Amino acid sequence: MDDKFDCIIVGGGIAGLSAALTLAKANMRFLLIERGEFSGAKNVSGGVLWGNDLNRLVPNYWEEEDAGFERFIKHRRLTFADHESSFSLDFKSAHYEKPPYAGLVVLRSKFDNWLAGKVEEAIAASDFPEESFIATNILVEEVIKENGKVVGIRAGEEQFFADCVIIAEGVNNLLTRQIGLQDDYVPADYMATGIKEVIRFDQKVLEDRFQLKELGGMSNEFVGASITNGIEGGGFLYTNRDSVSIGLVLSIKDMREKLKKSGKSIYDVLNDFKKHPVVAEMIEGGEIVEYSAHVVSMGDMRVMPKEIYADGVMLTGEAANLLMNSGKAIQGMDYAMHSGILAAETVVEAKKAGDFSANTMKNYRAKLENSYVLKDLKNLQGAVHLLHDKTLMNDVPNLVCDFAKQFFTIKNEPTEPTRKLLSRSINKHSSYMDLLKIGLKGAKAL
Amino acid sequence: MKLLTISERLGMVNYRNQGKSQATPHIKVNTDICNSTCQHKCTTMVCPANCYTLDEMNKVHFQFEDCIECGTCMFACDQGAVKWSYPDPENGRGVNWNFG
Ligand SMILES: Cc1cc2nc3c(=O)[nH]c(=O)nc-3n(C[C@H](O)[C@H](O)[C@H](O)COP(=O)(O)OP(=O)(O)OC[C@H]3O[C@@H](n4cnc5c(N)ncnc54)[C@H](O)[C@@H]3O)c2cc1C
Ligand code: SF4
Ligand code: SF4
Repeated sequence: MDDKFDCIIVGGGIAGLSAALTLAKANMRFLLIERGEFSGAKNVSGGVLWGNDLNRLVPNYWEEEDAGFERFIKHRRLTFADHESSFSLDFKSAHYEKPPYAGLVVLRSKFDNWLAGKVEEAIAASDFPEESFIATNILVEEVIKENGKVVGIRAGEEQFFADCVIIAEGVNNLLTRQIGLQDDYVPADYMATGIKEVIRFDQKVLEDRFQLKELGGMSNEFVGASITNGIEGGGFLYTNRDSVSIGLVLSIKDMREKLKKSGKSIYDVLNDFKKHPVVAEMIEGGEIVEYSAHVVSMGDMRVMPKEIYADGVMLTGEAANLLMNSGKAIQGMDYAMHSGILAAETVVEAKKAGDFSANTMKNYRAKLENSYVLKDLKNLQGAVHLLHDKTLMNDVPNLVCDFAKQFFTIKNEPTEPTRKLLSRSINKHSSYMDLLKIGLKGAKAL
Repeated sequence: MKLLTISERLGMVNYRNQGKSQATPHIKVNTDICNSTCQHKCTTMVCPANCYTLDEMNKVHFQFEDCIECGTCMFACDQGAVKWSYPDPENGRGVNWNFG
């Protein structure tokens, strides 16, 4: 064996494993290094893996007895809440029952580990079963450069060399910063903290409560000042097999400004969310089995690294802040998967061309620009900015709940015309002018 | 349902190398900065593992043992007081998520 790999991948999360699986299938020789005891041991998401890129990596994965996921999404709900009410857009469809599924609820400790198993299988089936490896429990401390080109990595005393390196280290991207693609200090402006609990139920209780059949599951996003204590962000609840994942995504900058006034800590905000009357009923009687948190990007392109490739190196997944938060869903895992696949395809091309310089690596950017990842990120920046808008985040949920309360309440009194009810709610919580502005911004954003 | 305190919550976290009496710290905080120029002391509110605390004198203290490696303080501290890294797999603390 040559002492140099075709590629070293740093990080065995979704981006890294997707790159590895693609490389193994293309008979490349690679080394994937993960600092956790196993893939997934360090990772947290909500989370729903949206879309069907997984079917590209593991064709017909649903035919497997237990394919690493908890449930597929059959039922979606977007809830606007005020302090005591909720108004939801609710969509359920038998259409979603047929694979390939539109979304999978996953728990990362299990899912990433399952995906790592698929990589091992692909290595075993490749032309170099003895020459590609997944190495866990090793922390990469440095990316080695020679003459400006990335040529390998260092972990402790050991050095490993390769024609190129794929960085898939996630949002806490120390190595990306070390090689100068991002500043040493990244401000909190476009970053959030995701905080979460996994709450377990008797499976039958859970299925009855959320009307779940077989592996069908539900995703519920929450918007409103009473969900987040007025902090920019939102809430989520996803159904696993016998538990729910419930939590908040909260802007770090906004917490810095607002928590002091309320005298609360981030975990108090999570408790307040769980106490919300609408939410409390959903989780009644469960047993908390894990509390976790992790930073997550907010989908604002202003935070992205200066470039996502350089001589001998590519950045994938959230190491490059590739994530979309459009309010109706967080897409970080599918972006990680897609970017991992595209980076690996670029390695295969580079090997064929015998050129691992930036000149070939730039094809990775081109592929990403042509894919839904950078297309959506660019086109939906307006929607991302809209999520910082006070009118939309605070006033609109209050307004729709207030209107719905009047609309649905039947009082044995003469009923006021709906138009009048609506107008009263608007003037109470916002103004026609503000709504018009938001409407115009929204129309532009979408 | 019952709401848990932060120590009850952290009691459920599966920390690594708990048997080791001396783990190597992976985050270093220059608390001189915290206790002189920092006006907001925000890490005492945004750290989900309560690693940054205020005493009765309003002084900031930091401990890394309960850290769940979320990364929040690395972004939240705009005062240059936090030197952040990942725990060493052999000798550091850090987490092993059971669910994630
Ligand atoms: C609370 C929360 C809810 C979320 N909800 C959703 C959701 O519903 N849907 C969705 O799509 N996304 C969601 N996300 C975002 C999603 O989790 C991330 O975007 C996704 O995990 C990014 O994948 P990645 O592979 O780029 O990085 P990660 O999953 O972070 O993987 C990085 C890997 O690299 C390893 N690593 C890092 N540095 C080193 C090193 N130096 N040496 C060795 N190994 C290293 C880490 O241990 C880790 O395994 C959520 C995030 C949070 C926090
Ligand atoms: S924000 Fe930084 S300087 Fe201020 S208390 Fe926290 S760690 Fe210290
Ligand atoms: S990384 Fe997260 S858990 Fe650890 S000290 Fe910083 S904020 Fe607290």
